[in-house]
Amino acid sequence: MFQMLRKIVQYPRLTVDYPRRPLKPADIIGKPEVDGSRCNGCGECIKRCPSAAIATGVSPQDIGFNLDQCIFCALCEDVCPTRAIRITSDFELAQKHRQDLRKEALREVSPSTDARPSGVDAAASIDEDSYELMGRRIEERLRKKLGRSLQIREVDAGSCNGCDYEINATCNPLNDLERFGIHFVASPRHADMLLVTGTACRNMELALVKTYNATPDPKLVVAVGACACSGGIFQESPMVRKGIDSLVPVDVYIPGCPPRPQAIIYGILKAVERI
Amino acid sequence: MGGTDVLEVLNHQFPGVIRNYQVCYENEFRCEVDPGEIGRIARFLSDHLKMPLVSLFASDERVIRDGRFAIYYLFTLRPENQLWQFKTMISEADGIFPSITTEIPAANLYERKIRDLYGLIPEGHPDPRGLVFHHNWPRDLYPSRRDYKGIKPLRGKAESQFTRVDGSGVYEIPVGPVHAGIIEPGHFRFSVAGEPIIHLEAQLHYVHKGIEKLAEGQSIEKCFYIAERISGDETFANSMAYCQAIERIAGVQIPVRAEYSRVVFAELERLVNHFGDLAGICTDVAYGFAASQFNMLRIWAYQTTEEMGRSRFLRSVNRIGGLRRDFLAGKEERLLQQLARMKAELTETEELIKANSLFVDRVEHTGILATEIARDLNAVGPAGRASGLKIDVRRDHPYAAYGKLRLEVPEHANGDVNCRMNVKISECYGAMDLITQALSQMPSGEFFIPIAGIEPYKSALGYTESPRGENIHWIMSGPGDTIFRYKIRTPSFCNWPALCYAVKGNIVPDFPLINKSFNLSYAGNDL
Repeated sequence: MFQMLRKIVQYPRLTVDYPRRPLKPADIIGKPEVDGSRCNGCGECIKRCPSAAIATGVSPQDIGFNLDQCIFCALCEDVCPTRAIRITSDFELAQKHRQDLRKEALREVSPSTDARPSGVDAAASIDEDSYELMGRRIEERLRKKLGRSLQIREVDAGSCNGCDYEINATCNPLNDLERFGIHFVASPRHADMLLVTGTACRNMELALVKTYNATPDPKLVVAVGACACSGGIFQESPMVRKGIDSLVPVDVYIPGCPPRPQAIIYGILKAVERI
Repeated sequence: MGGTDVLEVLNHQFPGVIRNYQVCYENEFRCEVDPGEIGRIARFLSDHLKMPLVSLFASDERVIRDGRFAIYYLFTLRPENQLWQFKTMISEADGIFPSITTEIPAANLYERKIRDLYGLIPEGHPDPRGLVFHHNWPRDLYPSRRDYKGIKPLRGKAESQFTRVDGSGVYEIPVGPVHAGIIEPGHFRFSVAGEPIIHLEAQLHYVHKGIEKLAEGQSIEKCFYIAERISGDETFANSMAYCQAIERIAGVQIPVRAEYSRVVFAELERLVNHFGDLAGICTDVAYGFAASQFNMLRIWAYQTTEEMGRSRFLRSVNRIGGLRRDFLAGKEERLLQQLARMKAELTETEELIKANSLFVDRVEHTGILATEIARDLNAVGPAGRASGLKIDVRRDHPYAAYGKLRLEVPEHANGDVNCRMNVKISECYGAMDLITQALSQMPSGEFFIPIAGIEPYKSALGYTESPRGENIHWIMSGPGDTIFRYKIRTPSFCNWPALCYAVKGNIVPDFPLINKSFNLSYAGNDL
């Protein structure tokens, strides 16, 4: 008992005051940036990018990133012959619209177009009406209601477990998500928000849709990590989807592979408009 | 017993059966046998030579081997650092191969997986059920064959079948795939009478992403990033196994500095994982204070990892031929300081938890994995070591710089949660010791050697001891620096069936604790 008390005195508080005090990590792999004036348009980065996340616009030098696909491997920085690409330490990248993360226009993927082919049957698919209702009419009320006390259910729909460990880390003594009044709950029935990781692989499609339907309206869905946002490095596999938004409507996209715990906190707070 | 000795014994026992014997990369011994012979050879290897089956997989080699599939059986002779590969060829028209599951229980899931993904039938296999697709995939469409075009068939309606336990008062508890905690998906079907678990069946493969298939035809550079994402918390162990296999095929020796640096990062990854497991064990017996202590240690380990390798999961640290940067240059002092701090805290915390009899009561005699079962199923890593198997890839098949370092393999034999916990605690000290040794011996110099233009259709093994245990990757190169076939066998694939045995007879509330003491990866199993 004495030893225990001694430890409590020794380490009184580990929690960092993010986001009130911004975090300034020195050397991490954050958002890649390109200096158009130095780019010679050789296309090496586009050819070598493992998740096809680099795209050009009007000219070969007009290079940009589809951050929803980016796996933050920093290979582009290494292979650029003119050092035009630089990896910054910017990790607060979450966006409400997937298009805001992208250089290229997003091919239209909506719950109605891509949901059925690999076969979630109609009875288990989401109720379009409730989604429309939620999206259009009560959005404002929803944010107000959920803003101060939020219950989250996490669903791993096919991740490598990196994102799940980072979500776990949001609850550790350093980040302590509960200080915002945000809790993880055991059942979707108790949840206001689904935090979804992974590609929605074939064997998890049904479970994801059922979990979504089991969550009472109004609800929010946050896609965590490159796989949930776009399929990430697995996007070409026939066993996965190019992002969970082809199955369930998504409110906030958090890019990263995996996003660091503070990036996830940033995304969650963004979803309830506390940032 | 040298490689030729094993060959002699086999030739004596099975005259004229072993063909095309060759030795590759010093410790890979290869030969071909007829499919009909593999059953008795496997039994002889396992019973008389004590060589466990460590991998079994098919490869669609119809395009390069006149229309035939190959099935590879991999056995190890651990005390002699030998990896034996037995290859059998079967024609497409036959489409069947003899099952060895009744002789070698460890072959069970490998054979079921081959049936689902390649459509080759393991003749005589005791379990006809599908494994990978949960009945949502037609049984005549085989996605790992090379002529599969990526069609997504409609979802079938059938229900999964579980082994039923009959008797009065026996009931089933279905759990998952979406769990109460923040963990990966899997379905557990408990058959219970009163409180004790009579039978547990784990239905996995919920996160099957088709990784092995996806890797085929990709450039070796891109496939590296896929390998890093096999299982998030084992990123470095997997990327290292991948790199080692490619480096073997290319016939390249990486610079010594890179070898030592890889040891440092692999052991840092072990620290992060083991601290997390220890925290989890404490959480699952509701010992919050100790859990916070281990969580704090884990935070420190993560911070150190990120400081050393600029990534919390050690992604983009490795690279084929060495490392991406000379990450450790100038950071040695800092790393040693951090280790000293962690070691002091771990020592004090260990004393604290072991002095708590309530805690020890919960972990002792809980979830016992018997030595014979561990051996039969080839349980690996801390789970195997806790059950009396004295195995560790770092010692048995030294790779990177491990051959030059002093390594103690902890010995335990009770096979309970307590033993697994103690193995992990002593491995934490071991990891710190290995890092310290590696830093003191590491020479300066190059940290990378470029590799390109590898020979096509050459295969090699890459093996590491991941935090969860023996991790074996088999790669065959394709034309133009691509991957022809990538077989990944993570430790979780071996240990999941062992977990199902370990919970038998325990009460349901102890399942999370036993599960955590194994802490297996679903992603690494499902691929």
